[in-house]
Amino acid sequence: MKTSLAALGMMMAGLAAASPRTPARDAEVLAELPQGLRHAEPSRALAADRIDVAVPLARAYVARARATGDLRFLGYAEAALEPWMRSSAPPPAVLVLHAGILQSRHAFEASLAELDRALAARPEDAQAWLTRATVLRVLGRYEAALASCRHLEGNAEPGVARLCEQGILGLTGHLREAYLAILQIPAEALGAEVAAWRCSELGEMAERLGDDTAAEGHFRSGLALAPRDFYTRLAYADLLLRHGRAAETLTLLEDYQTMEPMLLRIALAHRQLRDAAGGRAEALLAGAFEVEERRGDAVHRREEARFLLDVRNDSRGALQAAAANWQVQREPDDALILARAARAAGQPDAAKPMQDFLRMNGFQDARLPAPGDAS
Amino acid sequence: MKARDPGLVALMLLAAGMLLAGGSARAHTASNGFLTVHVDGAEIRGSVELAVRDVELAIGVDADGDGKVTWGELRAAQARLDRYVGDHLTLAARGRDCPLTLEPMRVNDRVDGSYAWLPFTARCAVEPAALTIRYGLMQGIDPSHRGLLALEAGGKTQTGVLAPDSSPLELSLTAPSAWRAATEYFRAGVWHIWSGIDHLLFLLSLLLPAVLIRRGGRWEPVPHARPALNNIVKVVTAFTVAHSITLTLAALDVVRLPTRLTESVIAASIIVAALNNIFPWVTESRARIAFAFGLLHGFGFASVLADMGLPRDARLVSLVSFNLGIEAGQLAVVMMVMPLVYGLRSAALYRRTLMPWGSAAIAALAFVWLVQRALLPVG
Repeated sequence: MKTSLAALGMMMAGLAAASPRTPARDAEVLAELPQGLRHAEPSRALAADRIDVAVPLARAYVARARATGDLRFLGYAEAALEPWMRSSAPPPAVLVLHAGILQSRHAFEASLAELDRALAARPEDAQAWLTRATVLRVLGRYEAALASCRHLEGNAEPGVARLCEQGILGLTGHLREAYLAILQIPAEALGAEVAAWRCSELGEMAERLGDDTAAEGHFRSGLALAPRDFYTRLAYADLLLRHGRAAETLTLLEDYQTMEPMLLRIALAHRQLRDAAGGRAEALLAGAFEVEERRGDAVHRREEARFLLDVRNDSRGALQAAAANWQVQREPDDALILARAARAAGQPDAAKPMQDFLRMNGFQDARLPAPGDAS
Repeated sequence: MKARDPGLVALMLLAAGMLLAGGSARAHTASNGFLTVHVDGAEIRGSVELAVRDVELAIGVDADGDGKVTWGELRAAQARLDRYVGDHLTLAARGRDCPLTLEPMRVNDRVDGSYAWLPFTARCAVEPAALTIRYGLMQGIDPSHRGLLALEAGGKTQTGVLAPDSSPLELSLTAPSAWRAATEYFRAGVWHIWSGIDHLLFLLSLLLPAVLIRRGGRWEPVPHARPALNNIVKVVTAFTVAHSITLTLAALDVVRLPTRLTESVIAASIIVAALNNIFPWVTESRARIAFAFGLLHGFGFASVLADMGLPRDARLVSLVSFNLGIEAGQLAVVMMVMPLVYGLRSAALYRRTLMPWGSAAIAALAFVWLVQRALLPVG
């Protein structure tokens, strides 16, 4: 209630900014279309008729959304699947892809429901089990996530099942053992992408163990294997920022100025450098969060909390966003921002449910302030 | 977005050839359309905006196929765009369409790129009491597209979100949002005075002796209701006028005081008012105490209002409603307690025990608050 009124005021302020113009020259370029993106009608018609067009098309769109951070591609993927989703028994491949889209939108429960439908029809679908494990892990339902990982044994690329399992054990009281176990998985036997995943998992575990030097090494090897790995790049940027290495952060993210999570790190790096160049990133982020709020999306609430805390110095707003985010997702970064926001707002109690959850699971993270630690 | 989806890791290679395409440095957001509607009697003015990129997807405007949409290409497609918008956006009142007339488009630059901005007018057969908006832009192309609506009617702005696949949105124009804001803030005012017991204790401390007269160093009951009523009205009015002044000043951001200071002084004000009943030094003009400290209580109310925020389009209504809520809540308590106190005024129990010891208890409680608020760390 309180926030919605405040948000309404902000929205109005943002809306007033529009000032339409008539370009002077016909040749002025208004938009550069992403490669291959054209009038949607022909491909839509084809995808509605043929599943062997719809599924690869949707898959390519999803991959593109992941690689570029361009959320519109998720919508295009959804549109390609839509005619097939309307059937009473959608093909499992369609369900699994659609569940992945829902996951990206943080509609986790709906995603799980579709994965269960897919698995009922195709019990050995490795991709469905892996997506399911990922969703459950984000939700903090570790027992169920582990069970999903076990279904990958003998079903997926070698190493994937162990990586999946050890990743969860690392969150539930076995951090050092899990780290060592993943180190034991021979990287040579893995495909490039799974190898990059292994590196980012190792890097994050090393950070939680308090060994940032080792973490940096893992992130660097991960990026060498898969330079476009969005996730590893973000994690590495956060590590650099924690050490005040702002200039290196900017170099790392130079080519990624279109994604909100990346923009946030760029803005933070400029803050650390105390230069004015971050103003553009800050304005873009503020505009993007404002529109998301209007839409009722909350996909970037974690980033928004960090933006409010570290850019806007609004610890109460940050705490509200971080607490709402914790209701939706429970990854280490979600715990970290909630802990920091609660401390900054002088409301340590707000972080207590989170701390209880982490304690119950035996979670360990060297970056987390100890409960009751004064700032 | 950060959550890694290992299931899709392998798919990234598929997209490798397409990476970093369209290298313009814009923030990527989900697809949004912007719809503004201004209702003036039966006449409607407004604009609809679609991202140029979305226009390409919907109707195909990149005539030369070079992957760039120019102003010339967009303008050449005006007739087709008009038809597309006409087919996918309708405004209706009382079940009858208000036909849209689209005017020459312009361009609006937003954080995520350029938008085609189409002004329109529409005429309804009757002055609408409610407007039904059917929005199907980008339907079938991008189900995550949303139309963000700002509707202005009778000086009030309402907002809404339109999804291409959802049912039509009906917005009532005669019951403006100011009414909703008014009831909401009124309720908040009542609730605040009832839940935040400190304001009431201050007022009651000043009112407990209202049924008595100080004569020769002793309390005596007032002979009849009139002087008691007089006392009550004076104290309540003084308190109300004072806190209304500062509440307004603070809510409109004219004056600001640190919360810790106002909260501490509010606690102190209760101690002063309560002790005055035990060791009376102000007996005739308690209304002055009510006024002086009432100014501080107003800042206390304002901090609650600051937490809620004032809606931009209904600031004054909300502020007044909140204040009226406070007065109503306070009056309700006064009207419940004072007849009882009046009935008890002649009893020695009231004058010698209830009033002094009750006041002492109030003072003690307020002292605890004072220590908490002034000395203990925040939070």
